[in-house]
Amino acid sequence: MNLAVTAIGRDRPGIVAAITGALLDFDGNVDDSQMSILHGQFAVMLIVSVPESADLGEISARLEEVGNEFDLGGITVSPVSDLDRGAGPTHVLTVYGADRPGMVHDVAALLAASDVNITDLRTRRTGDSTAPLYTMMMEVSVPSSATGLKEALAGLTGPGGIEAHLAELETEVI
Amino acid sequence: MAVREVLTYPHPLLKQLCAPAQPGDVDDVVKDLIDTMRSFEHCVGLAAPQIGYPLRVAVVDITGHPRAKEPHGLMVLVNPKVTARSEGSKVSREGCLSLPDLTANVRRPRRATVAFGGEEVELKGFEARCVLHEIDHLDGILFLDRVASITDDLFRRQEYR
Repeated sequence: MNLAVTAIGRDRPGIVAAITGALLDFDGNVDDSQMSILHGQFAVMLIVSVPESADLGEISARLEEVGNEFDLGGITVSPVSDLDRGAGPTHVLTVYGADRPGMVHDVAALLAASDVNITDLRTRRTGDSTAPLYTMMMEVSVPSSATGLKEALAGLTGPGGIEAHLAELETEVI
Repeated sequence: MAVREVLTYPHPLLKQLCAPAQPGDVDDVVKDLIDTMRSFEHCVGLAAPQIGYPLRVAVVDITGHPRAKEPHGLMVLVNPKVTARSEGSKVSREGCLSLPDLTANVRRPRRATVAFGGEEVELKGFEARCVLHEIDHLDGILFLDRVASITDDLFRRQEYR
């Protein structure tokens, strides 16, 4: 059985050790995971495989204890069945400009309209409050049916303009 | 000769220091390396331990690759030795047939001088990267041992400022 475990809370040493320790008590094995600091909050996403006999309620209760100890907001655990990795990324897309609400949505909607799948997305808001800069970096899987993507991205607008750069993902198999 | 199976980690040969080769005695290894490298569409280099020979032999050919600027064509590296590395370095994403489905950002010198077969060759850019990657294989080093950053440099600077 595969479980998705998520948690977020103020960053401090020991969070990963506590979560993985709790999972190990149930013979859980961490498969793919991603954990990172977002605005000082430590965000955790794990896919864990546990024996079929494992009791989801018990695991959940044990993780809840860890959540209370580390003050993690909303630690969740839920079974996941579909683990198909799907098509890998083909392009890297960078978008940046003066911050305004709706930038992520505009870009995502534009990509979705062309059936482009986002496989990785990270954003940062930097600069001071008078001149905030917004940067989005993503990896996307562009189907061959998607045409005119660069032109559509060039049409994005915002105060001071929005720059978008789409490049083929360079991975060298050496 | 033959297209050989490419060993994948954790095969022990991939983490082993390879023995010096006898230059007149590696024709079969070189042929197998070339045949196996050419059997993969995007493969630009292969080292002997990857196909089961723990010897200091590798081949590199980046001809026709989009990033090949002034390629030297097929290079047969027997007992190659890096004699100089540039101070300037660059991070670029690498993959490896011995670590399928994984890629990582690896920092390597932009230029390197490599001695092999009685000559010294100055390599630049992508070609230098490929040769250094192959020579790493001869020392039991995989690209995962040289990961420079897990996210983009831009974000890395922001996070650790």
